[in-house]
Amino acid sequence: MPFTSVVTSEWTKLRTVRSTWWCTALYVAVVGAGGWFGAAITQSAPRADFAVGSALTGFGFGQVLVVVLGVLAVTSEFRTGMVLASLTAVPGRGRLLLAKTVVVVAWTVLLTALLCLFCWFAASRLTAVEGGVPLTDPGVLRQLGLQVACAALAGVLAVGLGTLLRSSAGAMGAAIGVMLVLPPVLLISASDQAERLARALPAFRVGDEPFFATATSWQEGLVVLGAWVVASWTLGAVLLARRDV
Amino acid sequence: MLTPVIELRGLTKRYRSRVAVDALTVTVEPGRVTGFLGPNGSGKTTTLRCILGLTRPTEGTATVLGRPYRELPRPMRHVGALIDPRARHPGRTAHAHLLALAQSNALPRDRVDEVIDLVGLEPVAHERVRGFSLGMGQRLGIAAALLGDPDVLLLDEPVNGLDPEGIRWVRELLRALADEGRTVLVSSHLMSEMEDTADHLVVLGRGRLLADVPMADLLGAHSAVRVRSPQAPVLASALQRAGGHVELEIDGALRVEGLDCDQVGDVAFLAGVRVHELGRVTASLEAAYLELTGDDVEYRAAAL
Repeated sequence: MPFTSVVTSEWTKLRTVRSTWWCTALYVAVVGAGGWFGAAITQSAPRADFAVGSALTGFGFGQVLVVVLGVLAVTSEFRTGMVLASLTAVPGRGRLLLAKTVVVVAWTVLLTALLCLFCWFAASRLTAVEGGVPLTDPGVLRQLGLQVACAALAGVLAVGLGTLLRSSAGAMGAAIGVMLVLPPVLLISASDQAERLARALPAFRVGDEPFFATATSWQEGLVVLGAWVVASWTLGAVLLARRDV
Repeated sequence: MLTPVIELRGLTKRYRSRVAVDALTVTVEPGRVTGFLGPNGSGKTTTLRCILGLTRPTEGTATVLGRPYRELPRPMRHVGALIDPRARHPGRTAHAHLLALAQSNALPRDRVDEVIDLVGLEPVAHERVRGFSLGMGQRLGIAAALLGDPDVLLLDEPVNGLDPEGIRWVRELLRALADEGRTVLVSSHLMSEMEDTADHLVVLGRGRLLADVPMADLLGAHSAVRVRSPQAPVLASALQRAGGHVELEIDGALRVEGLDCDQVGDVAFLAGVRVHELGRVTASLEAAYLELTGDDVEYRAAAL
């Protein structure tokens, strides 16, 4: 059967449960409000990308909702037993997981891109920058592009951990632990070992900055996050293919 | 010769310390309802899950239409399964649940409304499944199994939780599907349900195959002729000479095994014995089943 059929089916599944819409509404509210507030308290900035960076602050906590959405997309199947129906309909387990991931990523990218535009708008209206905050500024585009990429990767990490752990609480705890809780904890402890460990964690990012975490360049941050995503998703896919349901 | 549709060859599933299915070799044929029977814990559900590729067998193979289930393209078009009444998200509506399943196999969207009508769920099609009764849930599961208009149906305990009207509906549905030449494998732990439905029986006990026989044979093997005569002792010895195995019943009638009604009547006539009652007594499937599975019940209540 064509892969697009499986993607269509997964989209129907995602849009027909309330948790999706709760996560979506909260994501929009947290990021939107954070963006407006961040831009409002930043009266002026030396460069356009700094101004946009402040307006993206809401993503720091907002990405938790992407994680919840991604985890629930998988674990709700195991919790309810729906997975039996899903795998009977689509016995190719890798295909099913891939389709689910595509849908979560597409929805996350769409929402995040729209929210990024809103944050840029807030920065351009509320923060004074010499020369303004043009959307076409390479620094601005990099901030916004990185934000979309990081949120999408957070979604995939959530799907991977959900598949691996098959438990909503376990997967959300693990994802939020490594992305949001451990990075600042290690930052405070301030030993060399802690710093090395911290750099290996997939901390949430706000634009090109790590959120409450040891400072790393955006390139390094993307590589680390990408490695976690590949590892958790691949391991999840392998275990899904091997284990009984 | 019918084409074998579901083939199990040496199917074995072991969990750490327990053998759930033990070297099961069975062929399920089309055009009839095959009852898949066994006490709780006898391995019926595990077998069905192995057929559907949900559980990986430790040894042996299970094929549907000649190949492993996982290799079927658009499996819902070939196989419809009701595996677990909980196999759905309680927050989704019946319609959304069926739509997602239909889309995954590129089935026409109209088919969703068709099966909803077929199982009689129109009034609640757009309500969330959370509030469904057990019976409504079973109907939804059967609707999902029928979505792809499949040639093979695997139904695990489909009448669980249904009211008498629902049970009759499922029976007639299974009958009709088998009469159309489809393969219907339906599991149950209740014999009485199967007696009017199944043509063929596969009986499991502790994961092992106990019987794979036509329903009539199983019942026939446990049936006898009952004959009542005022001259019972004379008739009994005549019947024994004719090769019958005769037992005296509580009310004075004779129970004869090994001869059919015609033979018993002829023997009585030749012996000049008057007969007041002559008939075939068919063992209930329940009795035949209990006899068969008696030693193979995994969970048994202690005698009071």
